[in-house]
Amino acid sequence: MEVTEASLLLRRRLCDPSYIHSIFKSSPDGNYSKLKFIISNSINEACNNSVLLLGPRGNGKSAVLELVLADLKVEHPGIISVVKLNGLLHGDNNNGLKEIARQLCLEFDLPFSKMASSDENSELLIDILRECGLAHKTVIFTLEEFDLFTQGKQRVLYSLLDALQFLTSQAVVIGLSCRLDADQLLEKRVRSRFSHRKLLFITPLKDDMQRLLEHLLLLPKETNLSSIYVVEFNSRLYKILDSKEFKYHLKKVIDIDNNISNLVMFLYRAVCSMDLKSGFLSLENFKKAISYFHPYPKQESLRNSSILEFYILVCMNRLDAKEQISFNFNSIMNEYKAIMDAYKTSDNYTRNVCLRAFEHLLERGLIMLTDNNVRCQSIEFRPVKSLISPQELHQALKAYNPCPVLLLKSFNNECFK
Amino acid sequence: MTAVTKLATTTTPAKPKRLANPKSPKTHLSPKTPDKTPISRRSSCRKTGQDSSRRGLKKRIYYSVVEYDGEEFVVGDDVYVKRTDDDVEPSEDEVEECRVCYADKNCVMLECEDCLGGFHLSCLNPPLRKVPKGDWICAFCKGRKMGKVVEYPKPPKGKIVKKTAKERLLASQLFAARIMSLWKEKDGTFGTNVCWYVIPEETNAGRREHNLKRELFKTNHFQDIEMESIIRHCYVMSPKEYSKANDQGDDVFYCEYEYDIHWHSFKRIDEIKSSKNDDGEDADKDKDWNLLNEYISDTEEELEFEKESIKVSSVNRQKKIGRAPNSHKGRVLGGQRIGIQKISEHIRCHKQTELERGKGAVRLASLTKSLPCREKEMTEITAFIKGSISEDQCLGRCLYIHGVPGTGKTMSVHAVMEDLKLEVNRRSMKPYSFIEINCLKLSSPENIYKVIYEALSGHRIGWKKALHILNSRFSERSNKCKNSDQPCVILIDELDVLVTRNQSVLYNILDWPTKPNSKLVIIGIANTMDLPEKLLPRISSRMGIQRLCFAPYNYQQLQEIIFCRLDGSNVFDKQAIEFASRKVAAISGDARRALEICRRAAELANYRRKTSKSDFSSDIAKDSNTGKCFVDMDDVEAAIQEMFQAPHIQVIRSCSKLSKIVLVAIVHVLCRTGMSELTFEKLAMSVSSLCSNNGEDVPAWDSILKASCKLGECKIIICNDASMHRFQKLQLNFPSDDVIFALKNCQEVPWLAKYM
Repeated sequence: MEVTEASLLLRRRLCDPSYIHSIFKSSPDGNYSKLKFIISNSINEACNNSVLLLGPRGNGKSAVLELVLADLKVEHPGIISVVKLNGLLHGDNNNGLKEIARQLCLEFDLPFSKMASSDENSELLIDILRECGLAHKTVIFTLEEFDLFTQGKQRVLYSLLDALQFLTSQAVVIGLSCRLDADQLLEKRVRSRFSHRKLLFITPLKDDMQRLLEHLLLLPKETNLSSIYVVEFNSRLYKILDSKEFKYHLKKVIDIDNNISNLVMFLYRAVCSMDLKSGFLSLENFKKAISYFHPYPKQESLRNSSILEFYILVCMNRLDAKEQISFNFNSIMNEYKAIMDAYKTSDNYTRNVCLRAFEHLLERGLIMLTDNNVRCQSIEFRPVKSLISPQELHQALKAYNPCPVLLLKSFNNECFK
Repeated sequence: MTAVTKLATTTTPAKPKRLANPKSPKTHLSPKTPDKTPISRRSSCRKTGQDSSRRGLKKRIYYSVVEYDGEEFVVGDDVYVKRTDDDVEPSEDEVEECRVCYADKNCVMLECEDCLGGFHLSCLNPPLRKVPKGDWICAFCKGRKMGKVVEYPKPPKGKIVKKTAKERLLASQLFAARIMSLWKEKDGTFGTNVCWYVIPEETNAGRREHNLKRELFKTNHFQDIEMESIIRHCYVMSPKEYSKANDQGDDVFYCEYEYDIHWHSFKRIDEIKSSKNDDGEDADKDKDWNLLNEYISDTEEELEFEKESIKVSSVNRQKKIGRAPNSHKGRVLGGQRIGIQKISEHIRCHKQTELERGKGAVRLASLTKSLPCREKEMTEITAFIKGSISEDQCLGRCLYIHGVPGTGKTMSVHAVMEDLKLEVNRRSMKPYSFIEINCLKLSSPENIYKVIYEALSGHRIGWKKALHILNSRFSERSNKCKNSDQPCVILIDELDVLVTRNQSVLYNILDWPTKPNSKLVIIGIANTMDLPEKLLPRISSRMGIQRLCFAPYNYQQLQEIIFCRLDGSNVFDKQAIEFASRKVAAISGDARRALEICRRAAELANYRRKTSKSDFSSDIAKDSNTGKCFVDMDDVEAAIQEMFQAPHIQVIRSCSKLSKIVLVAIVHVLCRTGMSELTFEKLAMSVSSLCSNNGEDVPAWDSILKASCKLGECKIIICNDASMHRFQKLQLNFPSDDVIFALKNCQEVPWLAKYM
């Protein structure tokens, strides 16, 4: 009972972005307090602001923003309304303004007409902003995927930012983007109206990483779990976290991709493989998580190929090596025939079977057609190229267990002499 | 009870009559405050012959000024109103008594901010000679605040303490109201429509800590009452007036908020609206006003017309309640719902620090009194408009204004327009109509016809029809309609958006001024200098003749602008301002940028103070003693850094080890081959060899692909689709020097330095 509860607690934590990022709340240099300061400033001093949150994906831009908004809503009840936009959905001018109008109407309990033109919607935006300014209410616009709003004439951004220019209301426009040059994408007149506050979200340093691990995995003392279990669990966990082996494995994970969401995914896998009988996290769990955690999609998909498919890939490789720039299925077949004629093996298949294998490879994206003209020819005559490099093919052949000697030989002949 | 009417005038159709005791259930008559001043102004000078005969018996005569019981009541005045019929009419010699001596000496009294009691200067302990500056709190209140038990001096025996009207109002024994209209009934009694005020206790939120003692809230509750129940005048003032009013007697009240009685919500009274009214009153006072000449009657007619259309639409609105606000142009139906439930404390008790005041001054939305550094351009615009309007030479008049963003183009035109409006009011200029259009706010370029037509006539039609009507209107202007005879100034902001493929919109618009009788003046604003040259010759010949260039501000001008806004406060370090303005002038000359840098710097300074260990208040005291500025060079530097520097260096430094190796490999390969891009295959081989040469684990190609895609997402490198795999093309988005600079002293992978 206790164990399932503990594992549930851990999993719940790992799935909750606001819990993960709440650890950085207290530090004054953190983005949480900076962002909160900017927004609460504009609430207190009744001014307009615009902020850009930049940083690679998975570093908690949205999570920190959500955290800040939730806290501010508690601090100032009833005066904050949030309009959420996403560049993928509302980047287009009409859609954007309509969605803003819709959400504002919903927020203030007004009827909303779908038929309204975008002129009317932008009028409504300005009116509501003015009224909100008079009523000391703050409207916060969050624009996710900010870079996608910069396509076209940027009317949504222009009307939003221009409204902030002349209205003495209190509104905040917050843009979130993983593109570091997002503000350079703005048109000149839009950029001039943007206030260029930027907060950069980068991956935490090593010490913070350690703190984050403890924050996520240690069981809390004040729960209904028995204290003996909690103490035991935590002390074992400390041992693991301090062990060299764990550090080595963790470094392997972080070396490839060091953002927070990646780390959390890794931990989640480890927690999921926790042994429910013993009830404690062990080093084995983390190792297992790592073995899951290196998804090599190409290698996996090569490993499952048939011998005939390997033959086709090898043939393509030979053609490549002969510096034939362009080839199609027919020339591959010729190469295949040549190998078969030279060595006489049982792996001699008819053309139709080979074509099916070829199509199979195409479907899996291991090879690709180089022309985009779909209509004109049947597949055999269209130029094709292999997406597998000789090195990768070599590895795959080595890993392929009952690999025919002939296949290896014909491959080696060309490349690795 | 005799009533003398002054200036009898207007008759308008009777409003639904309701003579009710104020105590009766509240009725909701109209959600919108009627526009006050235009009515009063007009009614005082001329008649509008509206047919009221069909109302027959219910005829009322409306007045704007009524003398009642020897006191003069004007529409818009604030008055005390009796609550019940047995409320005594106060005696004429109502005098507030001193709280100490309770005698009625004829000398200066001081009012306590807290208990609102009056005190003679000489009765105080110790006595004061002069009235102290600022707020003053009496010794009793001070004592009570300290927690002591205070005994007020008792009045001498046998003396009845009379309550003043103010005290009775605040004890909810009286009402206060604003007169919205005055009339005489058929039977000779006088009635009035009033808008009630409420005291904080009567609102849903109750009296709260931060409510002022003399605070009232205006409601949206209107009622018709008899003139008899009005006691006398009181004065309800807006915050601005209130702060100026020092010794205007006891009946002064403060009103900042409007209270919605249905939604129980507060909202500030629109400053813009009220300030506009002020303007109107100023114009009223002008002596010239009474010399009626035909131009002014024109404008009045237009005023009337506009008002009429507003009325019509408001009637429509009431009919179709439940129509969505976004389908009604320019009007929020449920505006009252936006009000705040409780005025929270931070708004009222928030005392602005010096720093915040400085920050407010450099805010973009805060209005300035003067626009420095653009005098020359403004005189040119003024000359252009005046020349084309007053001399009847509208033929082909078109001004093209260009300049980089943030150089005050639109603002200058607006300022000129404000000035000219005053001149029109002063009769030194012919009236004209002014239309402003921002093209980026139109959903399509063609919609501009619709907007112009709507501004001219008040009707909404489709753009094709609008174009047709406008064409005929400007080309063959008939002299029948007086209204359309006015010259018309159209300001088109962001003109370049109107450029369509065949440029017909621009051509049509710019063609109108060339028509003989059009009386049309067009001012176009855009960023690019050579827009006319880019257009078809037939358009550029119509537009490009008269141009005005707004050059980017140089650093002295930017400095002057910032100083002008700061208005003498020494929050900012002078050198810091100079630094900011020099920096901005070197890059863009954009005034918005310069102001934003200052604001951000102030914000950073504020943040630094807040987070620093030392006590905030003592810090300020120290600073003001030493004369140090709040915002110094470092803050401005930090703000500029944040604004102008791309954050890629920090991101490169913080990214994962593999990503760093990938970046270095890209730089290495590009440097060796001398090309600007490379394929993923080459990159992967290079990464593998780098790793194996330096004793690192050789990463799988899939990992390398993932890392490079992550870099591509941040646009540190530019790459195409990952499905291309080994044929994927990669390119650095930043100069390779930046990568080298960022990774030169990398602790994590020291061997990288070898390859750079």
